[in-house]
Amino acid sequence: MLTYEDLFAVALVISAFLALHLDETIYAIISFAAALTLLSGLYFLMNAPFAAIFQLIIAVGAVAVFFLASEMLTPKKGLPQKMRGKILGLLIASVLAVLPLVVDLNVEASPKSHSLFFASALWEYRALDVIAQGIVVLTLALGIVMVLKRRRGK
Amino acid sequence: MEYVILSLVLLAIGIYGLMTKRNLLKILISIEIIAAAASMNFVVFSSILGDQLGQVFLTLALSVDTAITAVVIALVLIAYREYGIIDVWELSKLKKSER
Repeated sequence: MLTYEDLFAVALVISAFLALHLDETIYAIISFAAALTLLSGLYFLMNAPFAAIFQLIIAVGAVAVFFLASEMLTPKKGLPQKMRGKILGLLIASVLAVLPLVVDLNVEASPKSHSLFFASALWEYRALDVIAQGIVVLTLALGIVMVLKRRRGK
Repeated sequence: MEYVILSLVLLAIGIYGLMTKRNLLKILISIEIIAAAASMNFVVFSSILGDQLGQVFLTLALSVDTAITAVVIALVLIAYREYGIIDVWELSKLKKSER
């Protein structure tokens, strides 16, 4: 009997493979967006709602950036990928997707459950990490601004 | 344990992309898939253990991963504006010709 976990896992593997195999960048990015969204659904089925929502937000942001980048970087004229190549990619992805069907994808909680909640885990155990990461992300954002600004200045 | 196998499949797909693709955007997507495969283990083990520390680690890992992706896309854009190519082989040829 197929469960939702199995279906999500199969679709995840297929879309992840197609994201790399498809030659048209726009289709590849749509497939990548589908993979990230399915991963988010899988997290939700694993009883991890915070991870699911965060993954979904990241997926939306990353895909928007990828869309913009691909629109700027992709040459307008290119040879279309042959149908044979697409079918071959779909076949390889299907073969890869058999593996999640064979294994039983169910998460069972250990009897040694800690029942540590998200807010306390974030702010009591990892508060320093959160602050340090904020600084790292801010530094990266400044780095991007400096790199692009220097380029514009030239 | 079964989700670890799924994670390994995603890792294999990402490595396949890294080894076969020459387009910088495809390479970036491969890296994203590898990162997703690695960070999935946080959630899996956190669900098994029953605490939510793994979700916190996923949050931290994804934030940095996204910031790094933004930096790489900025560099790719600059490379494209400077040389008009996004093929890694062509870029490495440029490096050789500059020597």
